Amino acid sequence: MLDLCLLAVIDEGPAYGYEMTKRLRDRGLAIVGEGSIYPLLGRLERDGLVETYRAASNGGPPRKYYRPSSSGRVALALGVSEWRAARDAVDAVLAPVKIEVAS
Amino acid sequence: MSDFVEQCRREWKRLGVPDPLAEEMATDLASDLADAEAEGVSAEEFLGNSVFDPRSFAAAWASERGIIPVPSGRSTGRRRPFVLVAFTTLATLTLVVAALLLATGQPTVSLVATRAAQPHFVPSPPGAFVAPPGTSRQVLLHTDTAAPVEWILLLLAVFALGFAAWLWSSWGRTRPPTAPA
Repeated sequence: MLDLCLLAVIDEGPAYGYEMTKRLRDRGLAIVGEGSIYPLLGRLERDGLVETYRAASNGGPPRKYYRPSSSGRVALALGVSEWRAARDAVDAVLAPVKIEVAS
Repeated sequence: MSDFVEQCRREWKRLGVPDPLAEEMATDLASDLADAEAEGVSAEEFLGNSVFDPRSFAAAWASERGIIPVPSGRSTGRRRPFVLVAFTTLATLTLVVAALLLATGQPTVSLVATRAAQPHFVPSPPGAFVAPPGTSRQVLLHTDTAAPVEWILLLLAVFALGFAAWLWSSWGRTRPPTAPA
């Protein structure tokens, strides 16, 4: 699931490591509770789901930018489709639940 | 956080990550950490619990990238300590027994009971003490050859313990790191 989120944020535009965590954090997702994005990015790179290139950042040293490869875009589309199906199924199960808050 | 990056570098070097790749990862990590610091984000917020375990972090990153083999054979990893524990225990016991034997001197003298009717017909080894004649007799033999055996046992135990220490140290360096979630 975190792989999918990373693919989603770099599909918006190429990003380097810290930039990705900022984009995720801006959406309320702090994924680094137990780890970091680097091993995930490493796996995506190894599996050919992302492409990388080096480019200068704003006044800083050249950074390694990530963007989805064509395989990565396919994986993203499939992953989003599966996620939505799972989310809808769970919603259907939880919809009838009435929440009563004891005062 | 340069210390964290340096520890990662050392781990990559130890794991055999090629220098250019290690340098690339270290540079990216250092730049990202500097960005985070500039924005008031702590290293722990950025890296999670990995910040407390740079070795595992570095190994996980390199293995996920496919630069080093993914640690496999967890069962071997579990079995090895068991074998090591057994070996170390055996070596320790041997050492203790050899030391006790040397300290008490028990095996240097052994009691041999004979059933000879005529004590003077039994050839007594030089240095043996012949008990008074009777239906049976006991000969105290000074088995000088036993002493080297104790020393050999002791030396073997010391060498075995040294070898066990080396194995423990080697296992500690090469055991598979726990990959961050």
